[in-house]
Amino acid sequence: MLKIIIPTAMLMPMTWLSKPNMIWINSTTYSLLISLISLPYLNQLGDNSLNLSLLFFSDSLSAPLLVLTTWLLPLMLMASQSHLSKETLARKKLYITMLIILQLLLIMTFTATELIMFYILFEATLIPTLIIITRWGNQTERLNAGLYFLFYTLMGSLPLLVALLYIQNTTGTLNFLIIQYWAKPISATWSNIFLWLACMMAFMVKMPLYGLHLWLPKAHVEAPIAGSMVLAAVLLKLGGYGMMRITILLNPMTNQMAYPFMMLSLWGMVMTSSICLRQTDLKSLIAYSSVSHMALVIVAVLIQTPWSYMGATALMIAHGLTSSMLFCLANSNYERVHSRTMILARGLQTILPLMAAWWLLVSLANLALPPTINLIGELFVVMASFSWSNMTIVLMGTNIIITALYTLYMLTTTQRGKYTHHIKNINPSFTRENALMALHLLPLLLLSLNPKIVLG
Amino acid sequence: MLRRTLLLGLCRGPLGRGLGTHRGGSILDRDGKMSEIKKKIQSILPGGDWNPLYDTSHLPPESSDVVIVGGGVLGLSVAYWLKKLEKPRGAIRVLVVERDHTYSRASTVLSVGGIRQQFSVPENVQLSLFSIDFLRNINEYLAVADDPPLDIQFNPSGYLLLASEKGAAIMENNVKVQRQEGAKVCLMSPEQLRNKFPWINTEGVALASYGMEHEGWFDPWCLLQGLRRKVQSMGVLFCRGEVTRFMSSSNLMKTASGEEVNLKRIHEVHVKIDQSLEYQPVECAIVINAAGAWSGQVAELAGIGKGPPGTLQGTKLPVELRKRYVYLWHCPQGPGLETPFVIDPSGTYFRREGLGHNYLGGCSPTEEEEPDPGNLEVDHDFFQDRVWPPLAQRVPAFETLKVRSAWAGYYDYNTFDQNGVVGPHPLVINMYFATGFSGHGLQQAPAVGRAVAEMVLEGHFQTINLSSFLFSRFYSGEKVQEHNII
Repeated sequence: MLKIIIPTAMLMPMTWLSKPNMIWINSTTYSLLISLISLPYLNQLGDNSLNLSLLFFSDSLSAPLLVLTTWLLPLMLMASQSHLSKETLARKKLYITMLIILQLLLIMTFTATELIMFYILFEATLIPTLIIITRWGNQTERLNAGLYFLFYTLMGSLPLLVALLYIQNTTGTLNFLIIQYWAKPISATWSNIFLWLACMMAFMVKMPLYGLHLWLPKAHVEAPIAGSMVLAAVLLKLGGYGMMRITILLNPMTNQMAYPFMMLSLWGMVMTSSICLRQTDLKSLIAYSSVSHMALVIVAVLIQTPWSYMGATALMIAHGLTSSMLFCLANSNYERVHSRTMILARGLQTILPLMAAWWLLVSLANLALPPTINLIGELFVVMASFSWSNMTIVLMGTNIIITALYTLYMLTTTQRGKYTHHIKNINPSFTRENALMALHLLPLLLLSLNPKIVLG
Repeated sequence: MLRRTLLLGLCRGPLGRGLGTHRGGSILDRDGKMSEIKKKIQSILPGGDWNPLYDTSHLPPESSDVVIVGGGVLGLSVAYWLKKLEKPRGAIRVLVVERDHTYSRASTVLSVGGIRQQFSVPENVQLSLFSIDFLRNINEYLAVADDPPLDIQFNPSGYLLLASEKGAAIMENNVKVQRQEGAKVCLMSPEQLRNKFPWINTEGVALASYGMEHEGWFDPWCLLQGLRRKVQSMGVLFCRGEVTRFMSSSNLMKTASGEEVNLKRIHEVHVKIDQSLEYQPVECAIVINAAGAWSGQVAELAGIGKGPPGTLQGTKLPVELRKRYVYLWHCPQGPGLETPFVIDPSGTYFRREGLGHNYLGGCSPTEEEEPDPGNLEVDHDFFQDRVWPPLAQRVPAFETLKVRSAWAGYYDYNTFDQNGVVGPHPLVINMYFATGFSGHGLQQAPAVGRAVAEMVLEGHFQTINLSSFLFSRFYSGEKVQEHNII
């Protein structure tokens, strides 16, 4: 594990000491190398976890997320080059440092053994994200967005701290490997209900659950591209990962307690998808689609069957790559037209055909076209929830249809039709942007050949 | 210690009120600090607009999809139709930048306010026809909840254009065109004129055309305020400032025939706040030039016209300020209530104003006697020399009139062909024009606004085809000459 953490930490001095025209090249190449180092962790052997040290471990749940996190850093750096080109050198280096710190904290979070360490790092990831959103965001509303983001997550996770300390006191340890054997079934007393709620609320807010999702559209729309990418791809998965870990301790109460959250997720899934149909702001549409996909993950985690866990992990990885790529595409649009409204930049297929190809592929992935892992994830979740209760198939089916509807709506509005007069002279796609899209899509497509890796 | 002071305070409370000490406040609010703290907390809570950095409420937003330069009737009309025609509601963010909210020099409010369909260019007739329909149904278009309905005081008295022998043939042609488009105009001979309007002296008049329906005059201020109110309710942002700079990026591209063209797009508009050095860069996707008489200056800011003359880059926007005078006089023996808006063959015009024998009128000066447009001072000698004699000759009752007041206003005069410029610029591809109407802008504003909004949203004109009014005609030299300009 140190072989990932130390190089990531060392990326920071490398950024500060690089020559001005080498900062992007250096940081991107070395972070790509680090992501290659993390790939062997995917080679999980059976049911046990790969115990690396007293503090860190990785098993088949956290390994794909770890690889996703390390893969994302070079992509974020590539995406941010254009909008940071006008900043001073120190600011650029500061931005890259923030991204690297965030990366470091995320790597440690996904591989933490102790739940308290997980919690501390979980909270710590908020700070670099907040700095990125409020300092480098685009509009004045970003302050409001940062506030919402910070306080929603903090409010949700303070009870988690209390709950973790209580569990530490009663069971004597919070080391994840031990606790999965020591966990006793808890009865449905009032204090246990609160314990359940305290444990779960932080992750519910992070996912986000439908009723607590207010921070997400704001944060996504106001954040700069790297902020949006890391938020959509990784930070949301922190919630899912945390939920999966902590539900081991909360058996069998989850069967009763999960009902209200299941309802909220199922209904919220359909609601947020429908909101997507009415969105005019491109980034806002992608943000709401994130909420919708994550609601599926919440449903899967709360059902707690092996198939639903497999679906949830696959969906998390797939959504991470898809959503991040959609944000990159939206950003490439925004940099050219300086407006996020969809109807003002239409008919891009005739002007930027290669970009249109990327748009098509990612839209198809977003609407869960076979054989992508998006489909595998969704399918497993739908099947598991059908076996949990037959009626959920109605809502799930509606959601799948509406997802297809809004994805195609987004595709046709931006790509098809006659182009508007005022976008005639936009810059053609840069190689950097094409490389960015290809690097997003390649893992997604390759994983559809061997989904076993991400199925947990 | 604390309890003693609290007890003391509690005891003193009812007694203290009687003795005239600190009335009405709680013990903790002695210095008013509690209410201050409460106010601070309330402003921080979500929902309030507390900004920890500095107060920017007087500045325009940092980004807007469409920036409309100029808040007169054309600018507001474009804003209204943009908001009305956008498919998903609330899609486009529009910002209207107007540097003078009192509209003291704007052409809209200084206008005489007439509306007619008697033009020679068919598109002009169509524009006016739609505009009169808009004005007739203004309370359906511009209704705002809980606000009183608008009364634009439309006087449907019609226009009377008089033609001498030379102009009679042109007038007949024009009337044919107008009738084809659907305007209701009738031609009158001098005897019919004398029968209908006994106060007219028909010497020198060979033919007259009289608009029987949809023509007259109205109150431009009311239209402006109605549009402003409606547009604000639709979510358009207003900003009081002046556009000082356009930041643009350009790309060298090749046309289909292989020649290289430099296409520019404006990505930022610098709006300077009045009487201060502060400016706000507004990031935008589309700029609409509706600055009226000052459109030429705004176009120069965008770099239109900077190039060798005779090329497309060097073609300037030929809209400039022209000062026109309007005089208001009182004549007790003057023509009665059914007086139309009379336009003499010499170019002098007048109309009835109100119900007390007051009349408005003026004349367009020739090219040689154009007054200096630097200020809006009125030249009364102009009335004595150029307006009164033809007036008195046409309407003998006007020999005894008394000028009550006068004012001057600007025409956004299109020196090329005195017709409007509508649509995008071929080189600065995200600047759209809605200007240059040379005195008939107010009456065509609703229709022009719709045409520009269609161009922005759809990419082509849908209802009225104004492709002959595009900017490219200045380069290709195709004039759309309007003969009936007053």
